[in-house]
Amino acid sequence: MSHKCDCGDAQDQLYQYLDSELDEETAVSVRSHLDDCGGCHDSFDFYRRLKVVVRSHLAEDMPDSLEDKVKELIRHESTSA
Amino acid sequence: MADQANFERDALQYSRQLYSAAMRMARNPADAEDLVQETFLKAYRAYDTFEEGTNLKAWLYRILTNTYINKYRKESRRPAETDLGDVEDLYLYRRLGSDDTADVSRTTEDRVLDGLVESDIKAAVEELPENFRMPVLLADLEGFSYKEIAEILDIPIGTVMSRLHRGRKAMQKRLWEFASKRGLLPEDAERP
Repeated sequence: MSHKCDCGDAQDQLYQYLDSELDEETAVSVRSHLDDCGGCHDSFDFYRRLKVVVRSHLAEDMPDSLEDKVKELIRHESTSA
Repeated sequence: MADQANFERDALQYSRQLYSAAMRMARNPADAEDLVQETFLKAYRAYDTFEEGTNLKAWLYRILTNTYINKYRKESRRPAETDLGDVEDLYLYRRLGSDDTADVSRTTEDRVLDGLVESDIKAAVEELPENFRMPVLLADLEGFSYKEIAEILDIPIGTVMSRLHRGRKAMQKRLWEFASKRGLLPEDAERP
């Protein structure tokens, strides 16, 4: 029988859970707590959504010219070596 | 060992992702471009030491990170070992009043998550001291595992976890300030 997870346990493991870093048994125990506890479920859901927002805003469009510059650099290096 | 002839085909597919990370490290396009070019050049020169079949993306990020640290750390205005103040767990969520007012929380959450703009998120990450910014970037932008981050940054996995945890909390504090400035918080909504 696995250890039953309470609110404190769940919150301590919030990031590891969202980052998929928990072992299967612990993840199941957290998930089962989230099914039973509305408060923890909502807070986890908020952080899951925040993670998506952060990720989508951190990405940057690379100037097309940069890839050409890199290729040029490598070709120059390969011919001069 | 990898063949230099395949470098372009194998490595250049990561250029866009590396550029995003380089922008968040160097904080301006000119330095980010230099950083990416230098990373690929170093990677090309060392490609015959890369063991084929292992994690090429992580290997490139390790070169990117080391290049950034060697090139810019001495120019950084912040000392590398800056510590963060103490920030409570679930900082942002708790401040949205979601603990005991479940009915309004979803609206508040939506307003904050939708109302924070790209520049807020970028600033909240870029303002983190380097020791905390790197793990946050590698996890939240790139989705690397803790083990991969430990290898890229050459620090123990426990250190990755604690820096990631504290970096994300400090980021939430900044996001709270941005949300407040933008009038996205519950007390702002209650105003006539």
